Amino acid sequence: MKETSFERTEFHGIRVHVLPTDQFKTFALSVYIGAPLAESTVTNAALTPFVLRRGTEKLPETKQFREKLDELYGAGFGFDIYKRGDYQMVQFRMDIVNDQFVSSAGSLLQDGIAFLADAILNPALEQGAFRAKYVQSEKDTLRKRIESIVNDKIKYAAERCIEEMCRNEPYRLHPLGKIEHLEQITPQSLYDYYRQWLASAPIDLYVVGNTTLQEVLQLLERSLPQLRSANASYTSRPAPIRAAEVNTVIERFDVTQGKLNMGLRIPVTYGDDAYAAALMYNGILGGYPHSKLFTNVREKASLAYYASSRYDGHKGIMTIQSGIEIQNYEKAVDIIRRQLDDMSSGVYSDSELSQTKAMIVNHLRELQDSAFETISFDFNAILSGKERTVPELIAAVEAVTPEQIKAVAGGVQLDTIYFLTAAKGE
Amino acid sequence: MERIPYEHLQETLYHEKLDNGLHVYLLPKPGFQKTYATFATEYGSIDNRFQVEGGPEHRVPDGIAHFLEHKMFEEPEGDVFATFAAQGASSNAYTSFDRTVYLFSATANIAENVTTLINFVQNPYFTDENVEKEKGIIGQEINMYRDNPDWRSYFGLIEALYHNHPVHIDIAGTIDSIAQITKETLYDCYHTFYHPTNMILFVVGGIEPEPLMELIRSNQAGKTFAPQGEIRRFFEQEPEQVKEKERLIRLPVSLPKCLVGFKEPPQELDGAALLRRELEMKLVLDMLFSQSSAIYQKLYDEGLISDNFGHEYNQIGNQAFSVVGGDTKDPERLMSRLREEVEAVQTSGFEPAAFERSRKKRVGAFLRTLNSPESMANEFTKYKFRGVDLFDILPVYESLTVNDVNRRIKDHFNWNRMAASIVRSDRP
Repeated sequence: MKETSFERTEFHGIRVHVLPTDQFKTFALSVYIGAPLAESTVTNAALTPFVLRRGTEKLPETKQFREKLDELYGAGFGFDIYKRGDYQMVQFRMDIVNDQFVSSAGSLLQDGIAFLADAILNPALEQGAFRAKYVQSEKDTLRKRIESIVNDKIKYAAERCIEEMCRNEPYRLHPLGKIEHLEQITPQSLYDYYRQWLASAPIDLYVVGNTTLQEVLQLLERSLPQLRSANASYTSRPAPIRAAEVNTVIERFDVTQGKLNMGLRIPVTYGDDAYAAALMYNGILGGYPHSKLFTNVREKASLAYYASSRYDGHKGIMTIQSGIEIQNYEKAVDIIRRQLDDMSSGVYSDSELSQTKAMIVNHLRELQDSAFETISFDFNAILSGKERTVPELIAAVEAVTPEQIKAVAGGVQLDTIYFLTAAKGE
Repeated sequence: MERIPYEHLQETLYHEKLDNGLHVYLLPKPGFQKTYATFATEYGSIDNRFQVEGGPEHRVPDGIAHFLEHKMFEEPEGDVFATFAAQGASSNAYTSFDRTVYLFSATANIAENVTTLINFVQNPYFTDENVEKEKGIIGQEINMYRDNPDWRSYFGLIEALYHNHPVHIDIAGTIDSIAQITKETLYDCYHTFYHPTNMILFVVGGIEPEPLMELIRSNQAGKTFAPQGEIRRFFEQEPEQVKEKERLIRLPVSLPKCLVGFKEPPQELDGAALLRRELEMKLVLDMLFSQSSAIYQKLYDEGLISDNFGHEYNQIGNQAFSVVGGDTKDPERLMSRLREEVEAVQTSGFEPAAFERSRKKRVGAFLRTLNSPESMANEFTKYKFRGVDLFDILPVYESLTVNDVNRRIKDHFNWNRMAASIVRSDRP
C-alpha cells in the first residue's frame, strides 16, 4: 500500500497542499473555491469562472490567453462547477508537462502557477469591472449550457429527480444557476460578487508532481499577491432529512426510452463512522455489474441496458437510475423495490459482500494512480472536516460487518420516484 | 521476450509473439498501484463480409460484433463480472468500427485476473436462450442512443458521407438486424476473428514482465488452436462523392446541432503513411478550430458556436473523414462562415508560429497519455492493428513541416466531398 502524504501550509490566506511524486509526467494543479449554495448567489458563482477564462490583465484577448497555454506544451486548463453537500464548488484545473521530457527554456511549473494565479486573481478589466463584452458573451454561453441540460435525457432525468426531491433545500439548485437570474447580472455586479467571493470563500490550492512544498511556496511568492489575511473553512454540513412519503413525479417528452430515477435519503455522510458501511450498502445494491440492480434488472429480467445506484456521501443521498421500455415501468419499480427490501432484511450472500469489498478497495487503491483523483480524495477531508487517508478508509471497508450494513439500511428511505416517459401514453 | 527501451520517455516495453501467433506486450509502470490489461481482436462493426482462406464467405447481420462482445461475458458457471469482482477487478469491453476490446483494471491478484481475462475471451458459450435474452438488453442500448442527440448527429453524418462502406452501419445494429442473430452466426464470427493470430494482449501497470510473460506463455501453450489461414474482409466499392449533402434529424434539442464532415478518397496506405496523414490532419484541425485559433474566437464572438465546438479525424480501413461542429443557433450560417474561413487559410497558408505552437501542444498531449495506463493500452492496440507503433508519434511530429500541413489543408477540405448532419427540434 502506498502512503501518500501531502505537505501543507497556509500562504496569503489560502491553504496550499503539495504531494511530491515522480509517478507522473505532468504537474497537476487544482484550485477549489467554495460558496454556500444559495438562490441569490448561485448564478453569479457559476458565471464567474466562465468570465475568468476569457483573459487576464496581461493577456486580455482570449486568443492570447489560449495561445499561452499552447506554448506551455498544450497545458490543460479548465474548470468545473458542482455541488458538494450544501456548497457550490468551483474547481480550476491545470496540468502541465514536466520540463524534463521536453526542451523548454524556463520552468513550466512556474509558468503554470503564474498562469493559474493570473487567471483567477488578475482578470481582464475595464473601468473597474469585468469587460462588458466577455460578460455578455459568457452569459449567453451559460444560458445555452443551462438550456442544453434537457438534451441529454439521462442527465436531465437525474437532475429533475434531485430537484423534486430537494425542493425545500438549497440542494435543489442546479450548480450552473438559473436563466432568469442572468438578465440582471452586469459587469459591475458580477465583479462585485467576484471580489467578495475571493475575500470570503475557502480557497485550497493543490499541486501534485515532481516538486516540493518549499519550491511551490517560492513560486507562489513570485505570482501570488497578498490576497487576504486568513482563510475560511467549510463549516456547514447538510442536516439529515427524513422522507415523509414517496413522491412520484411523471414527466412527458418525445423519447423512445423511459428514464426511471429514484432518490433515497441515507442518513450517513462522509464524516460519519458508518461511511464505510454506507459505501458497502451502495456497492451491494447497485454500484457494480455484479450488484443487485444490474443482475436483477438487466441480466435476469432483460429490462434495461443500465441499472445502477450512486451514493453522494456529502449530501446523504442515494440515487438509482435505469433506462427502460415505457411499458415496463411497474415491473422495473417492483424489481428495484424488492432489491431495497432485500437490503433492509440483509438478504445478500457472502460472495456479494466479499466481491463488493474487493471492488471498493480496488477503486480506492486505483485512485492513487491519478493525480486529480488523489487531489479530490484529499479534498473530501477539507470539506467534511474528517481526516481519513486512503489506507484508513480501505481498512474501514474491509472491517464492515453485515450488521453495520443492516444498520445503514434501516435508515435508508425512498423519497422520490421520477419517470421520464413518452409524450403520449403507449 | 524482446525488450524495447524508449529512453527519452523513461519507458520500457516488452514484446513476444507466442507460438500460437498471439502478440503480447507488457509495459511496467513503476510506482503505479493499478494494472490495466486489454485483450483485443481486430474485429469491429465494419467486418460484416469475410472469408477465411479455404472456407466459405460469410455475410453477417449488422451489430453482430457488438452483440458478440456482450455475450462473451456469460460463462456456463455464471457471469464473468462476478469472477472479476471476487478478484477485486473491474472489467468491461467495448466495440468500435474496427476492433473489440476486453479489459480489466485491478490492484491485486494480477495473475488470476490476467488468467480470467484470457480464459473467458477464449471460451465462448452461446445458447439459443441466452442469445434471445440479450436482444432485450441490447434493444434498450439501441433505444438509449436513439434518444441521444449527440450520437444521432454523429452517426447521421457518417450515414450522409457513406453509400456502401460498412462504416455507416451503427455499431450496435438495429432492433431488426439483431433479431436475425443466432448462436450459429455468433460462433462463425467468433471462430474467425478470435483466433490468437488476430489478437493482441497488452498489460500495463505495476507488473513484473518476466513472470507475467511466463504465465501467459504457459496458459496459451495449454490450449490448442487449429491453424488458421488469412482472413479476407470484403468492402463494397465506395464512391468518392458523399451520399447526401445534408441529413436532417428531428429530436427535442435546446439549440440545433450541426456537424460537417469531409470524406477523403479511398487510399490503401501502410502504417507509416497512415500515421503521417493522421498527425498532419490533427495539426490542421487544431490550428483551424481549437480555442486558440482565430476562427474559433471569431465564430464564438459572432455567437455562432458554443464551447462544445469540436473536431476529430478518423481513419477506418481505407476510408478517412473529419468531423467539425457543435451546437449552433444557425447551422446554415455556420456552414457558410466555416467555408469562408477555411478557404482563406487554404489560400494564405498557416503561420509558422501557429504551426510550432500546435506541434508543442500535440507533443504535450502525447506525454499526458503516458500518465494513464488506460490510454496507453487502448491507444497502443488501436495503432498496432494499423501497423503503427504508438511511440513513433513523437518522431513523426518532429519530422512534419508547415509545408506538409499547408498541402493537407488544400487536399482535405474539398466542398464536393462535404456532408452535413443537423439535429433540430420540430419547433422552428
